[in-house]
Amino acid sequence: MTTRLAIYDSDQARTPIVTELRNLWEFRGLLRLLVARDLTVRYKRSALGVWWTLLNPLLTMAVLYVVFSQIFRFEVPGVPFPVYLLSGTLVVALFAQGVNATGAAMVNNANVLSKVYVPAEVFAFASGIAAGTNFAISLLPLFVIQLITGAGIPWTVVLIPLPVIMLVAFTVGVGLLIAAAAVYFYDVLDLTNVFIQLVSYLVPTFYPISIVPERFLRVIQVNPLYSFLKVFRGFVYEGTFAPGWNFLVIVVSAVVMLGIGVWVFSRSWKNLVVLL
Amino acid sequence: MTLPLIEVTDLGIAYRLSRNQAATFKEFLIRAVKRQVSFEKLWAVRGVSFDVARGEVFGIVGPNGAGKSSLMKVVARVLPPSEGRVIVRGAVAPMIELGAGFNTELTARENIILYGTLLGRRPEFMRERVNGILEWADLLEFSDVPVRSFSTGMMARLGFSVATDVRPDILVVDEVLSVGDESFQLRSRARITELMNAGVSVVLVSHSLGLVADIADRVMWMDHGMPKMIGEPGAVVDAYRRWSSSSH
Repeated sequence: MTTRLAIYDSDQARTPIVTELRNLWEFRGLLRLLVARDLTVRYKRSALGVWWTLLNPLLTMAVLYVVFSQIFRFEVPGVPFPVYLLSGTLVVALFAQGVNATGAAMVNNANVLSKVYVPAEVFAFASGIAAGTNFAISLLPLFVIQLITGAGIPWTVVLIPLPVIMLVAFTVGVGLLIAAAAVYFYDVLDLTNVFIQLVSYLVPTFYPISIVPERFLRVIQVNPLYSFLKVFRGFVYEGTFAPGWNFLVIVVSAVVMLGIGVWVFSRSWKNLVVLL
Repeated sequence: MTLPLIEVTDLGIAYRLSRNQAATFKEFLIRAVKRQVSFEKLWAVRGVSFDVARGEVFGIVGPNGAGKSSLMKVVARVLPPSEGRVIVRGAVAPMIELGAGFNTELTARENIILYGTLLGRRPEFMRERVNGILEWADLLEFSDVPVRSFSTGMMARLGFSVATDVRPDILVVDEVLSVGDESFQLRSRARITELMNAGVSVVLVSHSLGLVADIADRVMWMDHGMPKMIGEPGAVVDAYRRWSSSSH
């Protein structure tokens, strides 16, 4: 034994955020592997493979397009309606998929977490990053629609990683809180789904913000997802920068939510692991 | 360095049982409003102290529910102690349950890499080791078969082969060696002996008392979470045998 021994002392096992981050860094190989596994298992299991990630948003968009553009006759000034729709549903899908996957990560990996020492957060981050990767793949159909409808692709698309990384961080933060609760009560994951559905209606994915009555505007704008969507749409087809407060909201909500999630999760972990 | 690799002092592990189990959040809320939520502590392990020196084989015996597996999980860092202190110096290879880190959808090759990485090794390193690991487990021809179609014995071989591929400082073995056929048992024992001679400490939990008496340097007998006897293997195993046959 030439290397010095890694010492584990239960009396010093307090885990402030710094230790968590160092753990995450040490297990980055595992993180990479888990993301890859998440994606391969997903694609292996479906007959359409990776095409599903491309098709799914397109199908959703097609249905919504028929309903809202042809039946309800919604119109959004300055942008083809399909582009508006798809860009909105993609952002909400990233959030929904990420929170659901992160929330279920502990329960799903209980057989590992109760038998091998691994920083449990790695599984949460892997789920969030996998959702982000899926999002990146499904940008392709969006770009195609933008070209077809003549909306074009502005140079600002190169800045898309900023809101996406922030949204993944935000999602993992929310997901970690749910993951902790889901260990105690199995119905938390179902309730989460309902909650996400409600929240997603409060974001202007399929309706233009201009039709929202003045008195409800605040309710919509206070939702961090609104700012994520605003910034993303600015970059992906408008070629503009959203107002400064939207950027402030996405950065602050991402950092704060992730901080709260990691803090609460790591503090409650010792009560959770005995239940797994 | 003369410090023991494992130091366990006055260890207690408690599980919290809620008296009227609320499995759903809705129920919990209703109960919380009615103020009917109460928790009871169940001590799985209490008042356990022992050391394991470098190269020592420490056996643990006892009836089901004695707290042996909980104790192993604390040594493997999986569970935090509820009271007392645990110090572990070095890398632990835990073999708490067969195929614990395996994903049944993935192939043997993919699982080796995943499981090794879960144990803290680097994926690139694991990729280099895959063939050696498969070879020891005698599973080379099954390398690209999903693990879900493996037999228990095959899983045992694969798990053991991955866990012992890199020489750890401490090997934690919980009832894994008794699975598998004669040839696997012989080979796994040979490998453990090899590791012991190389200075690896082993904590061994087993119901095969013959095995424990044979290879352990010291044995602890546990019952109801408490240590009943710690000492020379022959004496402890004999005492435990007599106790089992008289009281059960």
